Amino acid sequence: MRLVDTVEVETERVEDYLQVIRTLGMAVMGDAGASFVSCATTSSAIGEHVYIEVTWSFDDHVQWDEIRKNLVLDPRYHEYGATVASLRLGGTRRFFTPTTFSPAR
Amino acid sequence: MLRRFEVYALRPDAPAEVVRALEAACRECGRFIPEVLDSAVGTNLSDAPVQLVWEHAYASPGAYRRYMVHPYHAAVIDRYLLPDAPERIVIDGPLGAGLYGYGCDGPSYRMRAGVRRLVLLRLDAGASETDVARLAETLEQAATEVPDMMVSIMAANSMGSAWFDGVTPVMGPPRWTHVWEQGFANLDALDSYRHGDSIVAEVERGGWDRWMGGVVKRSAELFYEVSRRPDPTLGHG
Repeated sequence: MRLVDTVEVETERVEDYLQVIRTLGMAVMGDAGASFVSCATTSSAIGEHVYIEVTWSFDDHVQWDEIRKNLVLDPRYHEYGATVASLRLGGTRRFFTPTTFSPAR
Repeated sequence: MLRRFEVYALRPDAPAEVVRALEAACRECGRFIPEVLDSAVGTNLSDAPVQLVWEHAYASPGAYRRYMVHPYHAAVIDRYLLPDAPERIVIDGPLGAGLYGYGCDGPSYRMRAGVRRLVLLRLDAGASETDVARLAETLEQAATEVPDMMVSIMAANSMGSAWFDGVTPVMGPPRWTHVWEQGFANLDALDSYRHGDSIVAEVERGGWDRWMGGVVKRSAELFYEVSRRPDPTLGHG
């Protein structure tokens, strides 16, 4: 299943946000057991704030609970959380389960 | 059973509608996860810098594990709580990790309505089992001595470090080693207790450090009016 964070970021902070995901985020989430799937942005040339979509995957909610435990016990996770919070304007987090006809599992 | 409290310090700029959404998510949790029992929320009225309390319970560690891996927990409750969640509205609390709780034989904490008071205690690390048992006995006797005190339970804060499965500590000893859970009929009853002449009220007024050899090193209190989902079996009017 997938965990999808979609966050709104001011254009001038997009690179900083992506850098945090690329470094601290991928290290912390990966070490906790999540697999990095994708990171994508909306255009910065359309006069709107940029939306960044970051997707992680894992088997199911049982594995997510183990990942969650590892995250909470990792001091870097709290630094990661505070850093991304300081760079975004808002956003959402949702869990998705692929449909039976989805090519990407 | 496992009795559990989650205590949240809210971001000062948290939108009111999102705070209400978190309150509702906690209060309604048992509708989606039947293992979550006696779910109720309250707004802390003490001076402690935390705002929201969610009290609930589980019949067993197995029931707690089913809560932990339930999609409602991950997708709805945690939406407002986890450090990296975009919709987070809580901040790291000054009382330490905001999770407290204890094991008990049955729902002796249960009351339909009223005021819940939670006294967080840090006992002397060198306190003997006998001293701790004597303290628990004295505090729990208060329910028989104080008018309108309906609940008085003192227990080790086992959930503070065993939050993953309810049994196995996954981190060091919690800052607050014990909890003293109380229930009162209403705020007037709590006030009467505070100003009353019971042994424990006098201890609280005079300072824990002068009592029972200073076994209680520190304390902090939360209290709130209990708000729970109406019982659909009771009907209206």
